[in-house]
Amino acid sequence: MLTLPPAVQELKSALNRLPGIGPRSAERIALHLVQSKQDAVDLLIRSVKEAKEKVSLCETCGGLTETQPCPLCSNSQRQQECICVVVKPTDILTLEKSQAFKGQYHVLGGQISPMNGVGPEDLRIDSLEHRIRENPVEEVILALGSDVEGDATSYYLAKRLSALDVKITRIAQGLPAGSELDYADELTLGKAMQGRAALPHD
Amino acid sequence: MKFEPGFHLLLGKNAQGKTNILESIYLLATLRSFRGVGAAQMIRQGQKGFFVGAEIIGSQSDTIKYYWSMRERKLTLNQDPVKRLSDFFGTLRAVVFCTEDLQLVKGAPRIRRRFMDLLLAQTQPTYLQYLQQYAKVLCSRNALLKQYRPDLNVLDSFSRELVKYGQALIDARRQLIPKLSPLARLAYRRISADAEELMMVYKPTVQTDFAEELKKNMDRDRQYRSTLIGPHRDDLSLKLNDNLASQFGSEGQKRTLALALKMAQAEYLTGIVGYPPVLLIDDVMGELDRERRSGLLPLLERAHHAKGQVFMTCTEENWPRELGRRLTRWQVSQGQVQWHESQS
Repeated sequence: MLTLPPAVQELKSALNRLPGIGPRSAERIALHLVQSKQDAVDLLIRSVKEAKEKVSLCETCGGLTETQPCPLCSNSQRQQECICVVVKPTDILTLEKSQAFKGQYHVLGGQISPMNGVGPEDLRIDSLEHRIRENPVEEVILALGSDVEGDATSYYLAKRLSALDVKITRIAQGLPAGSELDYADELTLGKAMQGRAALPHD
Repeated sequence: MKFEPGFHLLLGKNAQGKTNILESIYLLATLRSFRGVGAAQMIRQGQKGFFVGAEIIGSQSDTIKYYWSMRERKLTLNQDPVKRLSDFFGTLRAVVFCTEDLQLVKGAPRIRRRFMDLLLAQTQPTYLQYLQQYAKVLCSRNALLKQYRPDLNVLDSFSRELVKYGQALIDARRQLIPKLSPLARLAYRRISADAEELMMVYKPTVQTDFAEELKKNMDRDRQYRSTLIGPHRDDLSLKLNDNLASQFGSEGQKRTLALALKMAQAEYLTGIVGYPPVLLIDDVMGELDRERRSGLLPLLERAHHAKGQVFMTCTEENWPRELGRRLTRWQVSQGQVQWHESQS
């Protein structure tokens, strides 16, 4: 049986390590690349290299950026008195797309996870405290996921930040917009019921 | 094959495939084997996977199809792929009686916890989710306790999560047992002619307030590097005339007790859902003496009244001939099922 040339095999396993690319796709892409024109391959190499060189984490918020500090942190038009805490840099992109928030961000870089050996010292909590001490804010919004680790990390943060005299809130949990009750699972409905809000009537 | 409402007797020699039929019905209800084996062990030798399908006719009619292989598993309900298991469970409810049930009385507390959990998961939609979340938090908390010097604030955060899910489990179990106990007592009295009084008591490791008691127990947890109290350490105490059945009961009493628990499970489900679950009885008759058999059979026969179904496997030698009326007999040999006769 004819097997892949060793160099192609190596490329394939490198591609296979990328998210969303299984062994079959990896093989297809590897074979495609070795048969492509030199220009196309050079362009790919150059753009991967450049992107990697240019993009780093913002020293202030921890988001992806080409400048220090990042455009979001240096934008004076944005609200300064509110920091939204998220788990990973891409969460900022998600929230920005929603245009629901106009303040500052802070990336934790993970959640407390004893099973995976991640403790608070591995997260960007010190830098968050430092930021708040340097530039006092009115509110810290915790926008973590609603799994066990997200809940535990949020609680831990709330407790730790309480020493800083700042309002701490957590984003609400409940029904997805535009959906009916039938489509929500029981836990979500339970949380939606707990977090219900009064309607204004005037 | 079509099974009418009523009592179905599956007759055949050993190793002909009688239990297979019960197994496939149970599989459609729970997606598990009642023999406690993994799906891989339910595949016929030399085959890639297995398929089970059925039309369930109750207040409405539902078609379930389940295909399992090492590479893929497909579960459809009325031709639609099932996205959430909580939408699926409840389509078919089954209670199985088998020789392993004896472990409910004799075995470790884990087996009695599973008995409570299964019943609550079958009747309360959130219970299963809470149980799964609880297991996750427990793993995390134990991992923390195993660290050389755990961060006490982190430990506190996970303890809080543990209480959130654990207290819900404790409350659900605490409410269940007083409802189940009289059903089990009644079933026990009917099966056995003896006058022993069955007592079923929930034995939680948490007396009232999980949060408080977890805090009090923190030093011990840290010393043992593991969470020592909580629903994962609960038990269910089974007593006959104030004596622990596991220690003082005779073999016959233990068997009767196991049957009574299963009967109570079926009755409880009937009460909640409004119609009886399918009863699957695997090789239980052979182990009972004549007196207990004649106590149990009328209970099973009552399934007719509510248009329920009972499936019972038996070998030729020990099928309960006293069970004369209204039953359908099927002959099972070498994996083939043949309608034998109907009596009414």
